[in-house]
Amino acid sequence: MPTQKDDRDRIALLQGTLDLLILRTLIFGPQHGQGIARAIQQSSDDVLLVDHGSLYPALQRLEAQGWISPQWGTSENNRRARFYTLTKQGRKQLAREASQWRRISKAIHSVLGPETAES
Amino acid sequence: MLKKPQRDAQDFAGEIQAHIELEAARLRGEGLSAKDALDAARRSFGNVTTAQEHFYESSRLIGLHHLGQDLRYAARLLRKSPGFTLVAVLTLALGIGATTAIFSVVDAVLLNPLPYADSSALVFVSEAKPQNGVKTTGASYLDMQAWREQNTVFTEMGGTQAHDLSLTGRGDPTTVHTVVVTPELFSMLQEKPLLGRTFFAEDNKKGAAPVVILSEQLWRERFSSDPQVLGTTVSLDQRGFTVVGVMPAGFHFPPPSKKGGIWIPIVQDPVFGTFLPSRGGHYLSVVARLKPGVSLAQAQANMDAVNTNIVRQFPAINNAWQIHLQPLEQVTVGSVRKALWVLLGAVLLVLLIACANIANLLLSRATSRGKEIAVRIALGAGRRRIIFQLLTESAALGLCGGIAGVLLAYWGVKALAPFLPSDLPQADAIHVNGVVLLFALLLGLAASVLFGLAPALFAADTNLQANFREERGRGSSGGKRGRVRNLLAVVEIALAMILLVGAGLLVRSFLLLTSVSPGFDVTHVVKAEVSLPQFQYSKPQQWDAFANDLLPRVQAQPGMQETAIGLPLPIVHPFVNLGFSLPDGPPLPPGMPDTADYASVSPNYFRVMGIPLLRGRVFNDHDSAMAPPVLLISETMAQTYFANRDPLGQHVKFFFLADAPVSRQVVGIVADVRDVSLSQAPGPMMYAPFSQLPLWGAILVTRTSLSPGAVATAVRQQVAKIDRNLPVTDVGTMPSFIDATVAQPRFRTLLLGIFSGLALLLAAAGIFGVVSYSVACQTREIGIRMALGALPGDILRRMANGVGKMALAGIVLGIAASLGVTRLISTLLFGVRATDPVTFAVVVAVLIGVVAIAAYLPARRAMRVDPVVALRHE
Repeated sequence: MPTQKDDRDRIALLQGTLDLLILRTLIFGPQHGQGIARAIQQSSDDVLLVDHGSLYPALQRLEAQGWISPQWGTSENNRRARFYTLTKQGRKQLAREASQWRRISKAIHSVLGPETAES
Repeated sequence: MLKKPQRDAQDFAGEIQAHIELEAARLRGEGLSAKDALDAARRSFGNVTTAQEHFYESSRLIGLHHLGQDLRYAARLLRKSPGFTLVAVLTLALGIGATTAIFSVVDAVLLNPLPYADSSALVFVSEAKPQNGVKTTGASYLDMQAWREQNTVFTEMGGTQAHDLSLTGRGDPTTVHTVVVTPELFSMLQEKPLLGRTFFAEDNKKGAAPVVILSEQLWRERFSSDPQVLGTTVSLDQRGFTVVGVMPAGFHFPPPSKKGGIWIPIVQDPVFGTFLPSRGGHYLSVVARLKPGVSLAQAQANMDAVNTNIVRQFPAINNAWQIHLQPLEQVTVGSVRKALWVLLGAVLLVLLIACANIANLLLSRATSRGKEIAVRIALGAGRRRIIFQLLTESAALGLCGGIAGVLLAYWGVKALAPFLPSDLPQADAIHVNGVVLLFALLLGLAASVLFGLAPALFAADTNLQANFREERGRGSSGGKRGRVRNLLAVVEIALAMILLVGAGLLVRSFLLLTSVSPGFDVTHVVKAEVSLPQFQYSKPQQWDAFANDLLPRVQAQPGMQETAIGLPLPIVHPFVNLGFSLPDGPPLPPGMPDTADYASVSPNYFRVMGIPLLRGRVFNDHDSAMAPPVLLISETMAQTYFANRDPLGQHVKFFFLADAPVSRQVVGIVADVRDVSLSQAPGPMMYAPFSQLPLWGAILVTRTSLSPGAVATAVRQQVAKIDRNLPVTDVGTMPSFIDATVAQPRFRTLLLGIFSGLALLLAAAGIFGVVSYSVACQTREIGIRMALGALPGDILRRMANGVGKMALAGIVLGIAASLGVTRLISTLLFGVRATDPVTFAVVVAVLIGVVAIAAYLPARRAMRVDPVVALRHE
């Protein structure tokens, strides 16, 4: 496991959640593995930690499902990298999973209550 | 998933490389040096090799790949230690081979006892009269006809009887096993002939032309498989029978049956044909086929109703008689069933011991391979991968053992054949077949998983450091694994104990059985049987005349010290039980059976057979057909029926067709003999003079110093002088014929003896292995002890202490288990109880002796340890 600073505040991703986040990241256009990991980390204010040991299996899984399609290309700083593009099916899947995710998180939220309500 | 396009590892490696470089570039952008950025990028990515392995494993049939790898490795390993491989494969082969061989017998005899179509629908229909103690007996022809017409539950019904007829005109005169049948038998069995036809109802009408169906064997041996045999005439008891059919090779009925017989309709039989008009006889064995969907209970209810009807119609004859139905398979297998299940159980125990042994071997080896496995784990092998590899190794071993076991089974089934009791049903159908093969292979697989699991789990369970350390300071006790090995050895001793006790009990029973005094002494007695064709020699006077002609002729031959006629002979012939009444005495108390076993004998019989006369006189030449009817009774008969009066001079009346009106006077009392079997205590017995109550045929017994062959020649010559068409058969010494009657107990005793020997050997090997291993592990410790002043005797005592504990635990466990298990074989025992203390004591002594020897050999090595060498051992 990669060890980085202040791990205590970071959250290991649940299986399945990572898939959703990858798909979500790719909405903004093709991206390579490192870029995806970086984007997830940044957009979550460095709270979500992407374990590369599970990133690449997840990419392979999504590729196998036909939700993303790979293509070798050139990165912004002129390096060859494998870029992943969201497919039409991937988009549908994202919509399905996102709404499901929102339902769950809403449910959890309503059970836990707003943080401020705690006395 | 399957449509996934293959992506090669190179491509994936490139992607990872790109990732790291991109990350490094980003970090450089944040101000890190080139080297630090790359290092940080690598660190943050984690284990590249693991990622690549994940990719690799997810993209192909990795299990198959590993299996191939493991198999190659296992083969290399097995080749590298041929001693271990040989012992393991042999152990397993013995277990599987013996199990398969016995299972082959069980498969043929118990699982498929009847070679007929839909044989589970066949039921044996018998009569019984419980109030007279008659449990199961045959029916008369008239009763059977009534059953056949009145029942609503059977599709068909057939009756049989059997005896020998003499076949002449085809080579030497001989007797041929003749099954006398009602014509529906073949259609009931749904059997088709090889040639010609089976019987029609018309064949059994009075006055019909005599017809015969040949068995394939007789057709082959006496008719050289002549396809033109149909329509030819064969002479049976000097009467012509037309051949109408030949049955195929595997067919025989009733089961189990002698080979090479013939079938004739009952109306044509010289003996049973004359019984047909009488309703009171009980001579036909009746078998019927249930209609589809009819249960045995429904059939029984229906036959009960039929019986009530018959009893109402013929109260004088049929009163108190009942009808009993049993599955034919059950009747056929009968007494063999138990013995075979016991043997199968015993052989499975042997297999279990073999497995424990193999487990022990593999466990020892897994321990000594601890370092290798630790290295593998350190190099990144997963726990599952290690277990899988070890399992592959033991499975490969199991497969080798299975194959060797199947070969051994083929050989074993062949080797068993001569020892199989001849009255075993389906004995000729015993062979290693597909089912049995499957059974063996499953056994091999199950056994290998069984013994592969333990070492695999232990090997993979240990943590790295312990394994590295172990190589240096092998502990004295061996820890958890040592305990498991000791436990296995204890189990082996306990299992071997069970087998030894079982075998010991059977051996003791067999020795008691064969040394039981039957009440007669036939050490130098030879028997020969002369059959009289019943159409020619149809009158009792002729039988008597023939005997009177033959006896002095044979007696006059040199070497024949004493010759007599007796029928039936005790033990070697089926006994004859006759009803009688005592006209002089008070009526018998209710419930006391009014039957006794019976024989017709010539005056010399008691001297030839060595049966002592206790009171009165034996028969003499004056007891002819003309003289007053006389009778000898046995001691038991005298005590049972003449308790308060002197039997001599009393009268006995037989319920016997040929003798019904005659009252016989008791002239003597002779000693009891065992006439039913060696194992059955003598019951009441009556003898009548052959001249007064002759039976057809002459069974000669002669006290002689000649060989059976010489007797056969002499008797044949003399018989030929009287009638050259008379066959002389079944010549041999009486002891050999009596011996043949204990073939079944001998068979099971022999087999269980072999199995327990194997078990003992395997258990000894197990103990040897455990002690050898513990000596090897403790070499250093022993060296230290000896360097500190311990004597070899102390070391031996230490080892003996450990082995003694194992032996004690095994024996205690074994005794407890044996006490439970031997109850199962109590019905197979004779003269000893299942808890026989002598057997238990002997077995315990033998086990202790064997364990001591097996442990002493390696322990001796411990005593000879040179402290200097031992301390340098590591």
